[in-house]
Amino acid sequence: MQTEPTIIGFLCNWCSYAAADLAGNSKLEVPGNLTTIRVMCSSRVDPVFILNAYFQGADGVLVAGCHPGDCHYQTGNYYARRRLALLIKILQTFDIEPKRLRLSWISASEGQRFSEITQEFAKFIKEAGPNPLKKKPFFE
Amino acid sequence: MKGKIIEIKSDLNTAIKNIIKTLVQKKLFDAVFVPVRIPSRESFAYLLIKDKEILESITPLPPTMPVQGARALKDLTRLGKLNLRILCIMRPCEIRAAVELAKLRQITLQNLTFFSFDCPGVFPTAEYIKSPEKYDQNIIEKIKAWQEDGLRPNCSICVNFSHYNTPADLHIGFYRNHLLIYPVSKNSQKILDILSYRAEDDLTEWENSINTLLKKKKENRSRKFSLLSNQTKGIENLEEFFTGCINCHNCMRVCPICYCRQCFFESPEQSHHEAEEYLARAKEKGGIRFPPERMVFHLGRMNHMALSCVGCGSCEDGCPMDVPVGQIFSFIGNEVQKMFDYLPGKNLEEPIPLLTFKEDELHEYEDTREKK
Repeated sequence: MQTEPTIIGFLCNWCSYAAADLAGNSKLEVPGNLTTIRVMCSSRVDPVFILNAYFQGADGVLVAGCHPGDCHYQTGNYYARRRLALLIKILQTFDIEPKRLRLSWISASEGQRFSEITQEFAKFIKEAGPNPLKKKPFFE
Repeated sequence: MKGKIIEIKSDLNTAIKNIIKTLVQKKLFDAVFVPVRIPSRESFAYLLIKDKEILESITPLPPTMPVQGARALKDLTRLGKLNLRILCIMRPCEIRAAVELAKLRQITLQNLTFFSFDCPGVFPTAEYIKSPEKYDQNIIEKIKAWQEDGLRPNCSICVNFSHYNTPADLHIGFYRNHLLIYPVSKNSQKILDILSYRAEDDLTEWENSINTLLKKKKENRSRKFSLLSNQTKGIENLEEFFTGCINCHNCMRVCPICYCRQCFFESPEQSHHEAEEYLARAKEKGGIRFPPERMVFHLGRMNHMALSCVGCGSCEDGCPMDVPVGQIFSFIGNEVQKMFDYLPGKNLEEPIPLLTFKEDELHEYEDTREKK
């Protein structure tokens, strides 16, 4: 039986969350299995949040913020990029599903882009299959 | 390379002790921060020494490292600048950790002077306390022969054991029954003047011997890292690597870099959940191991501090279950530090990579597929 994957989206309040709102208002399609979490800035996302999501069975994690240079707090997304790059590097080194994590820049006016990115990501995750960490009682 | 060469008449510890005593007598320093053998004779502890008589009993070169020097120093300068001039005699990794903590605003380096020395490595504390006499004798031989067997695993793959990459004020080298004083910072000139030494002796021979050793250690290190890379590749292997972990968090407590007074992994937000939530997780995963969140702790801690990891191996020394946690942190630290071309503790002016950024970088980690 194939179940729908779970995708967690950490969306920055000022850009990506507004883009999600716009996508909804414009009646654009957004995957139903995307659970969004609003954060005030993409740099608020501690890599541990993403690890928690992974280890508790999320199949994919999307972190979306303002385009570089457009951060509401001037520089938050640059720091977020460094943190996420560090996490991806660690996951790559241990080969623990780095592909299930995605960092995207989506501005408040890009409802269309939000819809495209999330649909493409949902499709990708569905093809990648369920997160192997799901059935690992000793890997928590 | 120029410095001062002194013949060692008795033993190494005494030779270094004599230099320290002279500096304190001539009132260049008000106090000394140095390891001393504790009265039960089974271990060593850092002591802040004001009394000249206690200076007699110091051991600048202890064969073991129960407490990382930077961790000890942090408690001393927690509330800011010192008015006393303090001399700290520490291993290169301890000095680098202290500089890293200074960047994190946990240590104030004003009025502190650092002496480093060619570190032969340390023995695991658990082994040392079983038979101190054996290892006390061994450490002297180790320095002479520079052997690696029996040392802390991190020490045998350490490549920053000498003056390279260590921001000390003055470095003390050992070569063929001689002590070499190598001035590193501008500060050190004053110290040499007080000791009435002139940095005129040629140190090339010592430098060559260090370089030979460095080459050997670099080979050891890359061999060990490729082994670790295979050992930890994939979920099953990583699970097996950490299988002994009992989630005691001792590795975090002894780590010099982990300074947070409330560790995120012990906060209610991260670790106190309702039983129902654990039941839900168990349903999802088939079951969960307790105490929970072991792997999240290790992988999360790598995200929090691996960029600053100096590879001292204190975590592994403190691990009651002999998980090779020091080696894996050294390995992952090396990987992520390469990414930002950063060496922790090398230079106080260089910011920690997570506290700075460049506008145009790391595009390979962004999602570019959907860009217009």
